[in-house]
Amino acid sequence: MSEKIAKHVSELLKQGKIEAFIGLKEQQGSKHIIPHIYTDGDNLDGFYTGFNEGADAKRYPLVKTLFHISKRYPEARLGILARGCDERGLKELYKWNQLNTEQVVTVGLACSKELAEFCECYKPYPDEFVEGEKVPGVDSERVKKVSALEEPERLKFWLDKFSRCIKCYGCRNICPMCFCKECSLEEMEFIETGKIPPENPIFHLTRAVHMAGRCIDCGLCEEACPVDIPLRILYKKVNNIIMDHYSYRPGFGEEKSPLNILGSRPDENNS
Amino acid sequence: MAGLAAAFGSGAMTNSIAELEDTKCIFIIGSNTSEAHPLIATRILRAKEKGAKLIVADPRKIQIASYADCHVQQRLGSDVALINGMMNIILKEGWEDKEFISERTEGIDALREMVEKFTPEKVEAISGVKEQDLRKIAELYAKSEVSSIVYAMGITQHISGVDNVKSLANLAMMCGNMGKEGGGVNPLRGQNNVQGACDMGALPNVFPGYQKVGDEKVTEKFEKDWNVKLSRKPGLTITDMFPAIEEGRLKALYVLAENPMLSDPDLKHVKKALSALDLLIVQDLFLTETAQLAQVYLPGVSFAEKDGTFVNTERRVQRIRKVIEPLGESRSDLKIIQELSAKMGYPMEYEDPSQVQEEIARLTPSYGGITYSRIENDGLQWPCPNEDHPGTVYLHKDKFTRGLGLFHAVDYVPPDELPDEEYPLALTTGRIFAHFHTGTMTRKSSALNKEVEKGFLEINPKDANKLGILGGEKVKAISRRGEISIEVLLTERMDEGVVFLPFHFAESAANVITNPAFDPVAKIPEYKVCAVRIEKIDEKKEG
Amino acid sequence: MNFSNVSTICPYCGCGCGMILQTIDQEIINTLPSKSNPINEGKLCIKGWNVHDFVVSSQRATQPLIRKDGDLKEVSWNEVLEYVAKELMRIKDQYGPDSIAFMSSAKCTNEENFLFQKLARAVVGTNNVDHCARL
Repeated sequence: MSEKIAKHVSELLKQGKIEAFIGLKEQQGSKHIIPHIYTDGDNLDGFYTGFNEGADAKRYPLVKTLFHISKRYPEARLGILARGCDERGLKELYKWNQLNTEQVVTVGLACSKELAEFCECYKPYPDEFVEGEKVPGVDSERVKKVSALEEPERLKFWLDKFSRCIKCYGCRNICPMCFCKECSLEEMEFIETGKIPPENPIFHLTRAVHMAGRCIDCGLCEEACPVDIPLRILYKKVNNIIMDHYSYRPGFGEEKSPLNILGSRPDENNS
Repeated sequence: MAGLAAAFGSGAMTNSIAELEDTKCIFIIGSNTSEAHPLIATRILRAKEKGAKLIVADPRKIQIASYADCHVQQRLGSDVALINGMMNIILKEGWEDKEFISERTEGIDALREMVEKFTPEKVEAISGVKEQDLRKIAELYAKSEVSSIVYAMGITQHISGVDNVKSLANLAMMCGNMGKEGGGVNPLRGQNNVQGACDMGALPNVFPGYQKVGDEKVTEKFEKDWNVKLSRKPGLTITDMFPAIEEGRLKALYVLAENPMLSDPDLKHVKKALSALDLLIVQDLFLTETAQLAQVYLPGVSFAEKDGTFVNTERRVQRIRKVIEPLGESRSDLKIIQELSAKMGYPMEYEDPSQVQEEIARLTPSYGGITYSRIENDGLQWPCPNEDHPGTVYLHKDKFTRGLGLFHAVDYVPPDELPDEEYPLALTTGRIFAHFHTGTMTRKSSALNKEVEKGFLEINPKDANKLGILGGEKVKAISRRGEISIEVLLTERMDEGVVFLPFHFAESAANVITNPAFDPVAKIPEYKVCAVRIEKIDEKKEG
Repeated sequence: MNFSNVSTICPYCGCGCGMILQTIDQEIINTLPSKSNPINEGKLCIKGWNVHDFVVSSQRATQPLIRKDGDLKEVSWNEVLEYVAKELMRIKDQYGPDSIAFMSSAKCTNEENFLFQKLARAVVGTNNVDHCARL
């Protein structure tokens, strides 16, 4: 798909700059795309970087895959296909001391205008990229539309959407920012277990609050939702609130989230 | 599936999952879709967003019912009356598809005569569904441009299971909803490969592809290919196996990855029967309740340790792939069967499952065009008779498998056991979102166990109040077969007089108390209705 | 270091959702919904998301066992297969093929179901084969 990226990755592997590259693979010339880990620079069969056509982009949580591998192999240098959102995810993981910058080599891919518009992405490109062009960020019309609803309608809108929830936890499971060992969604004191829909709106608000200052707006949660809850609107809105009050956007700069109240131990600090 | 086979000539989901999204009306009956088939509920919710009408007929206020244009809570086991009642109104109003009936079906006159008896008054008396609601669902179903029927075990697990399905087939044909996109009668199969097990002839009366045992031409074809003499006598169904053991006719039973000690009706009986065998062989992943009674345990492997194919509910044959090597000493089930066969003097030579598929294709007309290379990605929906055939999205397009669709005049038969003075509550069973079937797999998952750790009995708060029971209290649920002790969950989901018990939990097994009476044709037990009594546990006596 | 992402089908209900199991060094670490599967299009339910839990459950029984003096004892594959073959042949000879029955499985693959009914029909000589679809 992208000769440039493939060549770059091949060189990184062959020169030993990375031990593995986390990307995508196209199965046997079909439209079936799965995550893949390349370890041999001479064998990039099916190498794939993703469509650029909105919902068909077939994006997977590559950052989360990298996170899992890094836990097992903390010394290994790992390459990763990184769009703007992936890069934001990596940056937040560095800031939260979940990942070591030294371990990661990004191979950047800037998204098309079409995909940027589909995602309503405010920064549809990573800081550095091998392929693609910088297209301007897009403000979310969906957030504006829902925010403009009068309060009773807005409540009804969200309660209706949340009422479909079948508690698959897919929004959390696929989220590259959900790395907590203990998840508040599973705390019986907060949320009664064994019941669908889960307590409305507590379940989804609990997660939304948790995403404040953390969501990197990759949108994988919404794509994974089996009942089509527009989760991305919810988390974008939460991010906007954090931006308005603290001028903070997750995944930008070195500065930590204003909600990182406790700070961290010096030995945990990677920078 | 016997009901569909009788009406249409083919016992499988007629249409496809994706079609549901763009149909105009969906009638869900006896399916808790959002908990038992969540990814099909996805399509139904989308259809609803796109403006389709939704009818739900279910005794419980299940989640998807809250999106229905009309939800009726029929009494347990009253489905035939309900559906006949709908048809009564449809015929009276002239909403039927006359052209479809005359060109593509037979038997309408007998049906017309039968449904005439099912006046709204009579239907209300049997089912508890009021005339205005009956009229509404009949109208929504009949007058929509195209309507799809979706059902599951809530329809089949009754002594009248086959009749229930025939009634749904009647309704679909009457309104011309067969053989077209977005229509059909769509059973949602409960297990990943029930369809495949049926397709592959794991049935006592048919070879693979529903080719009849006893049919001389068919039997000869298999004899020639397998180079062996075959029996022409149909075998025993599972339901018939247990009495056969007790009568001493059956001496050995080989159980492959099933747990009848939890899934069969009337467990006390099953345990007694299994213990009476000369030889019980169990091949499974775990030492299940059944395996613990076995003389021999053979460790097979999970879906993640083998290659092969599963067939989903819409007849789609899809590839499963080996992810890890078999754990410990366990071996692929295919290998175990082959090695055993060789030791019994009949070597089966297959290097891998794709070679088994080649034999399946050779002997099974509806699978004739299915090869591993063709199903690498999207799978293929049978019938797929040859290598150039693209597979079949929906069945019965221009003609039914049996030629003309056959209406059956089906009369209402009450459930085998109804509440009475001694056992005043009606009990029904089913699944919950976090667990699957007998829990053999899901209860090994810490995440799923955290969600729901143990069984419970759902009861209407008013009923609980009458019995002096509080939420979370442990009670005895007693039927004519046995009793279990279980915590109660007070919920408005239940109507008064009806209680619900999930069947995933061995320690409070639903089937200790359910009724083993079964449908005379399909031999499916009546899990969905029996009579029970709830008793407080006297703590002084129990200590 | 050995990773894999294997595309397969969920073993639970009849939907037939596509999933990708991710492994590191032969250990399944994660399940992802397949974005290209025509049924689930990148979504799963709670059971599907947790499918990797049961495969490696510590309760898996992976040794062949034969009951001796009332207890199930660990034996070799050769011993267990010899025993089963001999016993099935003995019962078949003594009581006839229809004294043996086979309960196949809706959880097993097509190929396994096919061979299992072939074992019943061609090797033992009985049509006593059924599965739990009814239940």
